[in-house]
Amino acid sequence: MNAQLANAAVLIADVVKVFHPQSPQARAIFDLTIVVIVVMVIIFAVVVGIVLYALLGFPRWREGERDPEQGEGNKTIEIVWTAVPLAIVIILFVLSARTMGISDPPPPPKPDIVVIGHQWWWEARYTNSGAVVANEIHIPMGKSVALRLDAVDVLHEFWVPELGRKLTTVPGHPNHLWIQSDKPATYLGFCTEFCGTQHAWMHFLLVAESQADFEKWEQAQVGPAPAPSSENAQKGLALFEQMSCVNCHTIKGTIASATFGPDLTHFASRKQLGAGIVNNTPENLRRWLHNPQQVKVGAKMPNFKFTDEQVTQLADYIETLK
Amino acid sequence: MTTQQFFTSTWTWNLAALASIAAALVAYVWAFGLGRRILYLIAGLGVFVLALISPLNALAAGYLFSAHMLQHILLLLIVPALVWMSLPRWVSLGSRSWLVANPFVGWIAGVGAMWLWHARPLCNAAVSSQFVNALQISSLILLGTIFWRQILAPREEERMSPPGAVLYLFSACVACSILGILITFSPVSVCPIYAQPPTDRLRILNLIQSNWGITPDKDQQIGGLLMWVPMCLVYLSAIVAQLARWFAHPVASAPVMDKHL
Amino acid sequence: MNGNTTITATVGHLLTPAERQHWKLAWLSTVDHKRIGILYMLIGLVFFVFGGIEALLIRLQLIVPNNTLLGPDTYNWMFTMHGTTMIFLVAMPVLFGIMNYILPLQIGARDMAFPRLNALGVWLVPFGGILLHFSFLAGGPPAVGWFAYTPLSEAPYSSQLGVDYWAISLLVLGVGSVSAGINFIVTVLTQRAPGMTLRRLPLFSWMVFMNAFLVILALPLLNAALVMLLIDRLLGGRFFLPFGGGSAILWQHIFWAFGHPEVYIVAIPAFAILSEVIPVFSRKPIFGHEFVAASTVIIVFLSLLVWAHHMFTVGLGHTIDLFFVAASVLIAVPTGVKLFNWSATMVGGRVRFTTPMLYCVAALLQFLIGGLTGISHAVAPLDWQTKNSYYLVAHFHNIFVGLIVFAILGGIYYWFPKMSGRMLSERIGKWTFWLMTIGFNLTFMIQHVLGLAGMPRRTFTYPDLPGWTWMNMVSTIGAFFMAAGSILFVWDLVTSLFRGKPAGDNPWNAWTLEWATTSPPPHENFNALPPIHSRRPLWDYANPDRPDPVVPVGGAIDTFRPDKIKAGVMTFIISEFGFFGVLILTYLFYNATSKSGPGAQQLDVLKTTIFSICLFASSFTIWQSEVGLRANNLGKMKAWLIATIVLGGIFIVGQGLEYWSLFQSGVTVGLDLFATTFFTLTGFHGLHVFFGLLALLVVLGVALISNPKNGRFPALGAVGYYWHFVDVVWVFVFSIVYLWPLIR
Repeated sequence: MNAQLANAAVLIADVVKVFHPQSPQARAIFDLTIVVIVVMVIIFAVVVGIVLYALLGFPRWREGERDPEQGEGNKTIEIVWTAVPLAIVIILFVLSARTMGISDPPPPPKPDIVVIGHQWWWEARYTNSGAVVANEIHIPMGKSVALRLDAVDVLHEFWVPELGRKLTTVPGHPNHLWIQSDKPATYLGFCTEFCGTQHAWMHFLLVAESQADFEKWEQAQVGPAPAPSSENAQKGLALFEQMSCVNCHTIKGTIASATFGPDLTHFASRKQLGAGIVNNTPENLRRWLHNPQQVKVGAKMPNFKFTDEQVTQLADYIETLK
Repeated sequence: MTTQQFFTSTWTWNLAALASIAAALVAYVWAFGLGRRILYLIAGLGVFVLALISPLNALAAGYLFSAHMLQHILLLLIVPALVWMSLPRWVSLGSRSWLVANPFVGWIAGVGAMWLWHARPLCNAAVSSQFVNALQISSLILLGTIFWRQILAPREEERMSPPGAVLYLFSACVACSILGILITFSPVSVCPIYAQPPTDRLRILNLIQSNWGITPDKDQQIGGLLMWVPMCLVYLSAIVAQLARWFAHPVASAPVMDKHL
Repeated sequence: MNGNTTITATVGHLLTPAERQHWKLAWLSTVDHKRIGILYMLIGLVFFVFGGIEALLIRLQLIVPNNTLLGPDTYNWMFTMHGTTMIFLVAMPVLFGIMNYILPLQIGARDMAFPRLNALGVWLVPFGGILLHFSFLAGGPPAVGWFAYTPLSEAPYSSQLGVDYWAISLLVLGVGSVSAGINFIVTVLTQRAPGMTLRRLPLFSWMVFMNAFLVILALPLLNAALVMLLIDRLLGGRFFLPFGGGSAILWQHIFWAFGHPEVYIVAIPAFAILSEVIPVFSRKPIFGHEFVAASTVIIVFLSLLVWAHHMFTVGLGHTIDLFFVAASVLIAVPTGVKLFNWSATMVGGRVRFTTPMLYCVAALLQFLIGGLTGISHAVAPLDWQTKNSYYLVAHFHNIFVGLIVFAILGGIYYWFPKMSGRMLSERIGKWTFWLMTIGFNLTFMIQHVLGLAGMPRRTFTYPDLPGWTWMNMVSTIGAFFMAAGSILFVWDLVTSLFRGKPAGDNPWNAWTLEWATTSPPPHENFNALPPIHSRRPLWDYANPDRPDPVVPVGGAIDTFRPDKIKAGVMTFIISEFGFFGVLILTYLFYNATSKSGPGAQQLDVLKTTIFSICLFASSFTIWQSEVGLRANNLGKMKAWLIATIVLGGIFIVGQGLEYWSLFQSGVTVGLDLFATTFFTLTGFHGLHVFFGLLALLVVLGVALISNPKNGRFPALGAVGYYWHFVDVVWVFVFSIVYLWPLIR
């Protein structure tokens, strides 16, 4: 029975991500949450208690009966139930100030990663190495990483529930956020400020890994795309450069250097496609290339009406972009 | 220096201030004798002295705009209110002057004082010139006194009626909030003399900016915000008192024909 | 009771004999507050169906992950329209309708102070609603959420007309709301029966009175935001576009400065209903009347100071965040006072669980939960986690549905007998109650967990994460319970109208004046009034052995009865402060540094000074005109009035010429931030002058046609106040826009 309860507790904690803090910042908020929940439960109990007392402690109305003692109020009680909540809220205010400081420390002069919100994908630029990625952000575990949040079009909002607060990305007004994970894990992140058609599918993955793994990953992301070897893949690269792909995407090492759409240099290393709408599998990639609008209607990538052969060649090329 | 050192070593002598409170105390006792109400006067004079000789004054003298704002609030709103409350209920002050007795004048005095002293040249001058500083302090006390007369005049009949008083205080809060909003969100410095690091006579600049983390931008924000929520809370408390005054009534048991109606 | 059950007969029973032939016209042209109240409620009910269907579609789409019932754009239309409809076309009209019906009765008045203005208010609701829904036929409704954050709602990102229809319809509705607010205030101040002093107002009336102040202060802030958004979208303005130098966050500040008071504007009437129903069905007066009344004033005050708690995640900085935390947690105190007092009212009483009481007690408990989760949001670090998730959705639905819809249902079950002469069915009522309560709690309680599990709001679908599917499913099932309850409720309304038990004057044995007349009341409301010495005149009348303590008449304010027209104009002027305040603050915010373009330096200050002097002089001339009227010197009155019109006309022409020359030199609205703010601020002032001139011309015309006698011509005084106000605004605008750059 105890094991079952424990399992249930773990399961609940896993599902209820806010109660599953994985960083000091999220833990600070969680600790305050417990306090607030206790306060809420107490006040709830008091009021429900009074109501129950009223309903159970006195006879119900009966037709024709004389109305009870009318009463007027009681100044002392009024002062008590004004002063006590006032004291409680003052305490909550002080605790808020403290937790704000712990869970949201001031930013450093230079961020480690610049995260930029687009309709409907996330760009991340690593300031130290120059790596540019999309929708999948890696950080070394156990270390505090400084993010600068920005947006190019409308308001978006960056949130990883297990790791701490959410923060809006405001075009023209950069914001700063520290992010940190105690353990290696892959977290699902969300956009939480309604930003248009595909707001629901503007997810990102936040991958926390060991320092060694992180450095390996970062190094791999910095380098240019490997040259394609198979014939199909080479045709794919040629297509990519001729078609309007280069108007929106960057692939380092080729002529493509536009930044309207996600950087594809190491696209094949990512777990998801389309900011989380589907997993990054060969089949999904082909579906996307056939008609992105079928996969993610409203996405800014139009339907290019590629032929099957073109899709195969492009996909073969893109799959080499590890 | 450390925060603790700061709080113990930056008290300043202010002969004029001490002399005036002594004079006030003497005048009060001579006019009204000793009674319970003198406690209000002592509280008010205490706040007055604290505002002018405590470390708050040291901060306000060129270091922190927000400290200067706090000083304002104490001098304009707290001190005069406490002094009014110390007067015995039979005293009638200012009722013969149409100017002083008029609620609009009172309102403009209280609100105008805040707005006036945040005009940039005046704000700067109050820090750099001793004379203007003295003028500022005296004007805040005077205008605050005129403002509070409408609410706290000793005689009930010289006060505004409670609903009117609620409107008076509410609109004063709105007017000060607007100023607070302007100051908090202003992209430029409202009182530039605070934006440049002052000649660090007390050597506390490091303490303020590094230990306490108050940069000039944040300082201005805090100053504007003080004008807003805390100041409005003062007005709110007064409103609560007015409502209590209005709704408090002796209990009568038999229906009475209301002659006025 | 035997009787005809046709529509005509039933409605006929509510009409005077003369009206029965033209009953449709009688209702369409009515200025009677009782009919207007019913019209408000019926219109709200119609839009409730729309908003409800939108809600059901939303919940159906979310019943399983990756559902394809609604595409993303359609879903985004649905939640935008659901929110906008429910707040502006359902909650506000229905509550204004209840307040409209009951307030004059409770204060012993014959009607509202301005019956025709009242009619204007009600007809603006369907007008605005149709305008909003017309967007379905004009490219699609808005898909930006009910608060339309910029830049998403700006033209580059919402190029269809939906947002424009949204903005214009809200402007129309806002005018109606403000007019209703003015009417409520002036009615309470001027229409009270003899003996009904301000302190003897029953809590419902007192809260309506306080709420009306919030309406006139908050709605104009929305109006200012909407016109600025429209100027951006239609005229190329720069207010909220970051690439143009504007601030996307400014929209949030202005919107929420309206938006937070707005939620109190709909909550306070719900509090008012609870404050009436709970005492009556506890058979005791409300516990701590003065404290509940005073807490209402404090809530009105504080609700204007808390808006940025909707912006904790925007990145305003901890300093600013903390001040709003302080104000927001503080507002919990007076709110709690109310909850405690309602609960204490029931203690020692003889509780009677009629349908209205069931609804109101449920509302109390559900509001308790909503208020507590509100406190959790006020604690900013918690809000940093819960905002924009389903936890927030659960919180505000606890207030909007849990408190407000339930209070409305309770209020309707309570007052329907008064309005129609028939009782609603207690049996069906209890069914609707349980369906609604089970449905509401099923739908929204689980959403607290869903939000903490990470599900963001406003998402047309969601991934198949553990727990998300079953939680959404439960939520959807609950929605259908509520739908069933609503349908049953309408059924009850319709059948009881024809077949309900006759109600009599006072079926609940209640104590306030609306129960001292027939059900429904006659056209003039009362044939006679009982003596009014306390807040419960009918209790005193029925219980002479133990009447309520007399509420003494204290001071002039209790019997303060200003002139109706003056009070109306002054209230209108107060409402305008908010509108101009926002425009002026925005102007200052954007023009504080002289970095944006040529700026104010290119204005011709001299010319403007000249025609400004004319405007200022016109304040003097209109004052002289009033002096003439008071001295019964009609010639003098008319002459000075003409002078005022001429001077005002010079101002308008002068401003027009100034605009013309600016346009000629390429300074148009969309040129830069200075131009946008300049034209908006001075343009709206000019518009006010223009309307003032029209009013003056009308006054002159009336004066010429029907020579006012005995110095009585209230219209002149009213327009005079308005005219002085317009001048005062120009003093500020002129100083800030034209003079300040010279000395800066």
